[in-house]
Amino acid sequence: MKLMRTPKKIDIDITNRCNLRCRYCYHYESAGDAGGDLPAEEWLQFFGELNRCAVTEVTLAGGEPFIREDLEAIVGGIVKNRMRFAILSNGTLITDEMAAFLASTKRCNYVQISIDGSMPESHDAMRGRGSFARAVEGLLTLRRNGVRAAVRVTIHRKNVHDLEGITRFLLEDIGLGSFGTNSAGAMGLCRKNAEIVQLTTEDRVLAMETLLRLSKKYNGRIQAMAGPLAEARHWLEMEEARLEGRPQMPNGGSLTGCGCYKSSLSVRADGAITPCTMLSHIELGRINRDDLGGLWREHTTLNALRRRDEIPLSGFSFCEGCPYVNYCTGNCPGLSYTLTGEVNHPSPDACLRKFLAEGGRLPDRALLC
Amino acid sequence: MDVKNPIANPLIVLREEFDDWAILFDPDTGNAFGLNPTGVFIWKLLDGKHDADAIVSRLREEADDVPEDAAEHARQFIAALEAQGLVGYEIEQERRTGNGDRG
Repeated sequence: MKLMRTPKKIDIDITNRCNLRCRYCYHYESAGDAGGDLPAEEWLQFFGELNRCAVTEVTLAGGEPFIREDLEAIVGGIVKNRMRFAILSNGTLITDEMAAFLASTKRCNYVQISIDGSMPESHDAMRGRGSFARAVEGLLTLRRNGVRAAVRVTIHRKNVHDLEGITRFLLEDIGLGSFGTNSAGAMGLCRKNAEIVQLTTEDRVLAMETLLRLSKKYNGRIQAMAGPLAEARHWLEMEEARLEGRPQMPNGGSLTGCGCYKSSLSVRADGAITPCTMLSHIELGRINRDDLGGLWREHTTLNALRRRDEIPLSGFSFCEGCPYVNYCTGNCPGLSYTLTGEVNHPSPDACLRKFLAEGGRLPDRALLC
Repeated sequence: MDVKNPIANPLIVLREEFDDWAILFDPDTGNAFGLNPTGVFIWKLLDGKHDADAIVSRLREEADDVPEDAAEHARQFIAALEAQGLVGYEIEQERRTGNGDRG
C-alpha cells in the first residue's frame, strides 16, 4: 500500500460551541462532541507542525467556527504556516469585517454556508427561527467581500418538496455558480430526531428524481459527494452494470468507501486526532503531544483502516446473495459504525438492495446529465 | 548588480509524496507543480549556495548515467521555476557613487 509521507489535509473542529442546535447536526451527541475548546496558542503550535509536515490545507468546522472570538488569530496562524483553508459554517455570524479579513488573506479556498430552503419555513424548521435570513445575509456578506462562498443544502423531510425552489433561489436569485447537496445522515442529533428529520424511502425516491432532473436542467450545477443525488448516479450505474452482467465496477466488491484517511486526518475540538470527523470515536493521539508524521505512517489502527479496502463484501452475511455486491463500495465507515457498531461493515443506509426491498425505485436513466 | 545563485521561494511548500516524487505547492495561488525525483533533488539545492553547474556536480555524485547536457537541462528547469515565481535570486545592490541615482 502506497502512502503519502504526511497527510495532505487536516479537518479541525476548531470549537465545540455553536449558536444553533440544528436537529440533524452530526456533531452534537456524537463522539466529536468532546468537551471545551482549546486556546488559540495550542492551535498555533499545531499549525507549526503542520507546516513542517507540508500539509497544504486545513478545514475549520465545529461547532460554528465564527463563534470563536480569536478566529482571526487562528486563521493568521494557518496563513503564516504556508497553508490554505476552508471554513464550514451555518453562516449566521459572519460580519463584513470578518469577511474582509478572510479575503485579505488570499488563502481562503471557500467558506461553506448551509442553506436548506428557498424560504424561512423550510430552512428554519430544522435550524431555528430567524436562521434562514441570517444565513443568506452571511452568504451575501461573503460574496460582497470577494470571499468564495459555497452552499451546502442538507435534504430532510421538511425541505424535500422545496428542492425546485431551493435550486431556483440559489442559482437564479442569488446567482451561485453551483451548490452541493447531502441528506441528513444517521449521526449525532439526527439519530435522536430521525423520525422528523430523515428521508423516508418515498422521500429519497422523490429527492433522487428531482435532483437529477434539476441537475440536468441547470447543466450539472448541482453537486453531491453523498446523499440522494450521489446515490442516484451511483445506483443507476450499479444497476446498469448488473443488467449488462459486468463482473465488477471500479472500487466495487470490497470496503473501499471512502478512504479519506489515506490523504487526511481530523482533529476534535479537544485536540484528539482522529481518522475522520465521521470516526471521531477513534482517538489516534493528541496534538502537540504526539508526532503527527509518525502517527500518520505507523499508527496500527490507522493502517488497519487503510487496509479496510481488502475486506470483500461477499464475506458479510448482510451482503449474501446481493446482485450488486461486485459494484458496491460499502460506503461510509462512520455511518456503518453508527448504524451497526462496526467500522468494518458495509453501511446499511447506502444499500441499494435494501432501498429497493423497502419499496424504493431508481430514477429514469434518461435524467442523467 | 551582482546576481547570486538561485534560491527556492521560502513560501513554496515541497510535499514529498510517493516514490521520491513530490509537488510544489504555492499557498497564495493554490497552484501545484509535480516534480520527479531529479526535480526534487535540484529543488533541495536551491539554497543560494549552488548554481546549476554545482547542482549537477552533486547530482553526478549521487546518480549514475547523468547526461552530458544535464547542466543545460537544470538551467532550463530553474528558469521554468523562476517564471512561475517559485525561485528567485538574491540581488546585491552595487554601492553607488556620484549622482547616478539622481539622473
